[in-house]
Amino acid sequence: MSTPATTPALEVRGLTKHFGGVYAVEGCSFHAALGQVTGLIGPNGAGKSTAIDLISGFKLPDSGTVLFKGQKLEGLPPHRISRLGLIRTFQSPREWPGLTVLENVVMARWDASREGFLRGLVGLSRSQRARSAEELAGARAILDELGLADLRNERAGNLSGGQKRLVEFARIRMAEPELVILDEPMGGVNPVLGERMASAIEGFIAAGTSVIVVEHNLPFIERVTQQVIVMAQGTVIAEGPFESLRSNQDVIDAYLGEMVA
Amino acid sequence: MIAYLVSVLTEGAIFGIMALGLNVIWGWSGDFDLAYYGYIAVGAYMTLVLTIGPAAPPAQYILGLSLPYPLAVVIAVGSAMAVSLVVGLIALRHLRGIYFSIVTLGAVYVMYVIAGQYVPLFDGYNGLSGLYDPMGDWFGLDFQSYQYFFLGLSLVMFVLVYLFMARVSGSRFGMALRTLREDERAAAAFGRDIYRLKLKGYVLGAGVGGFAGALFAGYLGAFNTSAWAPVEVIVLYAAVLVGGRGNIRGVALGVLIMGVLVQESTRFLPQLPGLNTMQYLDQHPQILLAVRGAVIGLILVLFLRFRPQGLLPERRFVDRQPAIEVAPRTT
Repeated sequence: MSTPATTPALEVRGLTKHFGGVYAVEGCSFHAALGQVTGLIGPNGAGKSTAIDLISGFKLPDSGTVLFKGQKLEGLPPHRISRLGLIRTFQSPREWPGLTVLENVVMARWDASREGFLRGLVGLSRSQRARSAEELAGARAILDELGLADLRNERAGNLSGGQKRLVEFARIRMAEPELVILDEPMGGVNPVLGERMASAIEGFIAAGTSVIVVEHNLPFIERVTQQVIVMAQGTVIAEGPFESLRSNQDVIDAYLGEMVA
Repeated sequence: MIAYLVSVLTEGAIFGIMALGLNVIWGWSGDFDLAYYGYIAVGAYMTLVLTIGPAAPPAQYILGLSLPYPLAVVIAVGSAMAVSLVVGLIALRHLRGIYFSIVTLGAVYVMYVIAGQYVPLFDGYNGLSGLYDPMGDWFGLDFQSYQYFFLGLSLVMFVLVYLFMARVSGSRFGMALRTLREDERAAAAFGRDIYRLKLKGYVLGAGVGGFAGALFAGYLGAFNTSAWAPVEVIVLYAAVLVGGRGNIRGVALGVLIMGVLVQESTRFLPQLPGLNTMQYLDQHPQILLAVRGAVIGLILVLFLRFRPQGLLPERRFVDRQPAIEVAPRTT
């Protein structure tokens, strides 16, 4: 795969969130570079999902900062963070079930100039219509690449769990964010589809979208990531390429234990 | 008979506009808004206080202007939108599903009680009256031809609102509203400002409701609290549900079935053979009203159980490009 770049796209410093007396995330700091796939692993309850919610604006941190391309994200609502080029997925697929697969993909692209009420009433300008047509063609191409072309007129809610994951990937490709955070994309996905998802993640990098992926499937993490962050009990306990973590005693104790043994 | 048909069609057209407005909020944004009839009422009341002139004691109400009807309609629509903005700002912030419905039910009840109890506003439970044939004297129409004129006006307005809604439905704005209905966290993750977008849809729908209310006031010449009794309001929701939420053709069909056919056919029950000999019905006309309510309720339950998407479900964009042309492979 491509050589790991070192530009920090996302920098998290001292992120903390507690619910009542439970510290879900405590002093969590890490950074993820542009142009590569960063894995985020750790046992259940390590605070990975909460960390994603805090970074993407779906939850407010108690303290700490999140910098994306040098810009502070904490306190911004989710849609503002998304518009800055950081998009996240969810642990269970969140397709728009009543819309078709193709509509799901097309509507993944947000565009203020075409989405206003008055614009809808007046009609799109010639250049806007051209852009819409271009995007429609782009959406078809993405679906074809991910093997979903035949399902494009199907309502997304009728798809299998694995197919919904792929629809989510197609939406990300359409939205073209600079960074995507994938929350357990392999959840409920069979091995054959898993291979397609691994190459889809390579497709993200090729399309200029850096990736952070939260996943329990370690062979998958080993295959797709260049850098891995290990969280346990709300904080980062180790960082490095997956190979280097195999021999890290803290990581073995907290998470890898059974796998190595 | 002709006069009867004219009145049924006029009411049907106005009712259709009401349903199209409700469809924006319930059908597209996906919020089961129970305050909707309040915006119709605001539209109707405001139209009246802006056109019927000063109150003659003991009646009392605000404003009491004698504006031209079209101008009053515009202000009435603005008023309905303003009230809906206040309700929406509160109810749409965090509440969804049944919690949103409960709060909007509370909101419409507050509106109802204020309209009924605070007499200086719209003359309490007496309500307002005295708008005679608006715009009729502009065209020198007598009573008979005015009925046709207003029927024509209502039908034209219904068609215009329908075309307006068709345009909004197919726009990216309409699609964005639907993404909120389908999964709003995903909509936010892909850049949609949920609160703002929902508010826009809410105020738009309420404005259309206010417009229908203003037409209603012009047609009836009067409006009071009995016009927004639950039995009147439920027909509106039934029409949208039976026709097909989200699909404006479905909504129009639902209005035809629930608002016109079911509503009107119960009127003819006493003439059915066997029933016409029952003097009991003549002595107790309220039974007819009850039967109507029961029929509508039964249809609602049956549809919710067996066909919740309605007769004409929302249609989706179907991409007809042949699969082979979907993406010419470069390799």
